[in-house]
Amino acid sequence: MAVIDEGVGAGYALPTVSKKFRLEDFKRGEEKTIHTDYEAAAREGLPAPVAIGPQVAALTFRQLRLSFGAGWVVGGRYDLTFRKPVFVTDFCVARGAVTRVEPEGDKLRVHCDVWVENQKSEKVIAGTASGLVPAAATNG
Amino acid sequence: MSTVKTRVLEDGQGRRAAFDDIEIGHSLGEMEWQVTDDLVDLQCQLDQDFDPMYFLQGEGGKRVAPPQITYRPPRWLFSRAYNVRGLFVRWESESFRAIEPNTTLKVTGTIVDKFVKKDREFVVYQAEGHDAQGNLVFRTKRTHVLDFVERSAPREGAGIDSGIKPEKI
Repeated sequence: MAVIDEGVGAGYALPTVSKKFRLEDFKRGEEKTIHTDYEAAAREGLPAPVAIGPQVAALTFRQLRLSFGAGWVVGGRYDLTFRKPVFVTDFCVARGAVTRVEPEGDKLRVHCDVWVENQKSEKVIAGTASGLVPAAATNG
Repeated sequence: MSTVKTRVLEDGQGRRAAFDDIEIGHSLGEMEWQVTDDLVDLQCQLDQDFDPMYFLQGEGGKRVAPPQITYRPPRWLFSRAYNVRGLFVRWESESFRAIEPNTTLKVTGTIVDKFVKKDREFVVYQAEGHDAQGNLVFRTKRTHVLDFVERSAPREGAGIDSGIKPEKI
C-alpha cells in the first residue's frame, strides 16, 4: 500500500527508514573485504571498513517503496550521490520530501529530494528520486 | 593500524586498472542474468525489505524483485573488463518494467566517461537490461572512484580486496 497519492504536494515529508548497521551485515562468507576487514580497508587508505553503498541506499529504496508501492517498482527513478563513507557500525536514517508533481501519461510523477544522514546528522547520501502514482479518476 | 598514503598497485586478481587503461566508449560486453526466487529472497534479506509485493502470496500469485536487485550485474561487467576496487560514488537508475523471478535478462554495458576531480580519478559506465522479448527493463549509470587515496599518491603494494568478485549476490 503506497502512502503517497494524487493529493500529495511539495513539502510532504516521506516516511523515514533507519538502521543501525553492524559489520556482520556486510559479510559474505569468509572473504576479507574493505567492508569487513580493517587491514583490507587500511590498505586502501580507509580508516575503517566501510558499508556497502547499495545496502545503505536500501534505506532510501525502502522509503520510496513505502511511498509509491507499485509505482516505485515500475517507473521509479533515482540519482544518488554517495557523499561520504558510511562505516560499518554507523546509524543511518533515510529522509526525503516531495518537491513537485507533474503529469506523466495517465499517471502523476512525484519528484522528491532524498538523503541519508548518519549519527552525526551528516548527509552521507543525497540525491533525487521519483515514482508514479495514479492520477485522480475523472468522470467524463 | 595506520592508513596509507599510497594507492594499491595490485591484488590477488593482478594489477589494478589504471585511469589511462580505461577507454571511453569501451564496451563492457554482455551477460545473460538469470533472476531466481532465491536471488529475490536474498536481495530482500540484504535490504531488510519484506514487502508483500516481493513475496508470493496465494495460489497463482506473482512476486516481483526489488528494483535495486539490478545493482550487481553491471558491476560484474565492469569487473570483467577492469580490475577496479575503489568506491561507488553515484548511482542513477530507472525501472521500466517489473523484474519477475524465473526470467533471464540480457545486460550490456559501456564506459561513457572518465574524469579527474579533487585529485581523484572517476569512471562512469552505463548499462541496460532487456528481457527475452527485447523490452528495456532497466537503465543505469554508475560513477566509480578508482581509489579512496588521491591520485598524486604513488601506486605500490598489494591490496587484500579485489573489485573482481564471484558473480553472485
